[in-house]
Amino acid sequence: MFNPAAHDAVQTGLAIAAPQDVSAMPDGAAKVAVTAELLSTWLGFADVQRRTLDVVQGELTRTSEHVETSTLDLSERFRELAQKALEQSERVAQIVAMAGSVDLDGERVPLDTLVVGMQDVITDMVTNIVTLSRHAMSMVYLLDDVQKDVAELEKSIGDIDGINRQTNFLALNATIEASRAGEAGRTFAVVAQEVRHLSRSTGELAERMRSKVTAVVKGVRNGHDILRQIANTDMSPQMLAKERVDKTMDSLVAQTTHFQAVLETAASVSSDMSSTIAHVITGMQFQDLTKQRIEAINDSLAIMSAGLGELETQIRAQVPAGIGTREPQEWLNQLMGRFTLSEMRERFVRRLLLEGTALDENGVLDLDAAGGGSAGGDIELF
Amino acid sequence: MDYGIEVRDQEAVIRLRGRLTFNDHAKLRILIGEMGQNKLKRQVLDLSSLEFVDSAGIGMLLIAREEMDRAAKQFVLRGATGQVKRVLTVAQIAKIVPIED
Repeated sequence: MFNPAAHDAVQTGLAIAAPQDVSAMPDGAAKVAVTAELLSTWLGFADVQRRTLDVVQGELTRTSEHVETSTLDLSERFRELAQKALEQSERVAQIVAMAGSVDLDGERVPLDTLVVGMQDVITDMVTNIVTLSRHAMSMVYLLDDVQKDVAELEKSIGDIDGINRQTNFLALNATIEASRAGEAGRTFAVVAQEVRHLSRSTGELAERMRSKVTAVVKGVRNGHDILRQIANTDMSPQMLAKERVDKTMDSLVAQTTHFQAVLETAASVSSDMSSTIAHVITGMQFQDLTKQRIEAINDSLAIMSAGLGELETQIRAQVPAGIGTREPQEWLNQLMGRFTLSEMRERFVRRLLLEGTALDENGVLDLDAAGGGSAGGDIELF
Repeated sequence: MDYGIEVRDQEAVIRLRGRLTFNDHAKLRILIGEMGQNKLKRQVLDLSSLEFVDSAGIGMLLIAREEMDRAAKQFVLRGATGQVKRVLTVAQIAKIVPIED
């Protein structure tokens, strides 16, 4: 596009910088013919290029600042995250420490010790039930025997009554026979009388014994009944409850062990997270390097821009006033096609349209086009 | 509960059938007497046909063991299943009376 060929210089009829003495000039300052069209095209390009370079520098600075702000913000958030992950792992570690034991009267008792203790208590209980059942059955058998003996006793008292009746009858007969014998039987009659007294006493004794034995029988029967009720209360379901309690306890211990394992994993994951985040924060230092690179690029762009501006001024000084700048429309269109972000595009357009105008002097260009919708930044100029 | 005694060469096997509860206490006393009277040293209580035992039944088995001890005879429980086996296990009867499968 910047072809220095000068084949249509004659057409324009315009001479550019025509010093009188060519030979007096240094080697590089030799005159060449350039068409006015090419010159105005170059001037147009130079103008747009310089402004574009300004815009690009601005955009680079803006991008660098944006990355810096965002990176600092991200680093801060990641630091918070790392701190939280650390706190989380400490909390989980506390739970892990507590999970395996329970608080009993202000003392931490390991769960497995507690379970063994409770199982021992229940084992003792079952043993007591067995011992109690055995004693109850021994008592039942004992009272069975006592009842038989007492019945025997009742029968014996009945036998005494029978014997007594017979004795009494014999004494009566003896008295009759003695009176029949007259004087000779007098002594015998006394004996017979004594026997009758004896028999009456025996009868009374038997009666007293019967009444006592009846009371004993009644007591033994009541006791026997109560004991039967006790022995007949089946405690085997309570004994078998031990199976269920044992299973429950085992399950409780297994579950606690599982929880502990899971929590330990969680604690170590939190700790890993914290160290990973620390690495991420270190990784964020790429921003510093990026900033330095962008600054270097910007510096070189500034040099290029200054050089271009200087050259433009020199050429402008030598070009006749009639030659204007031609706007490189096609090139501008291509450039605009690259600016897909509307705020960036807007900044570029402002720079092209307003630089050097009265509005520029009033500080319009310093306004941040990206400042938000209320600032009019949403207006699509192209 | 009812039972049958089978006298073999080395041992007397008493097979209990049905449910052993407090109501059988008189019957069991007779059985203990019979076990004491036969000449064999080894008295085996076959529980494989016993379906249920209550706590009084466990007490009676222990009394039977005491009586066999007194008569210098060996007393063995054999073949318990189901509820009977569970109760014997929970009560740790094996610590006092030999239990065979």
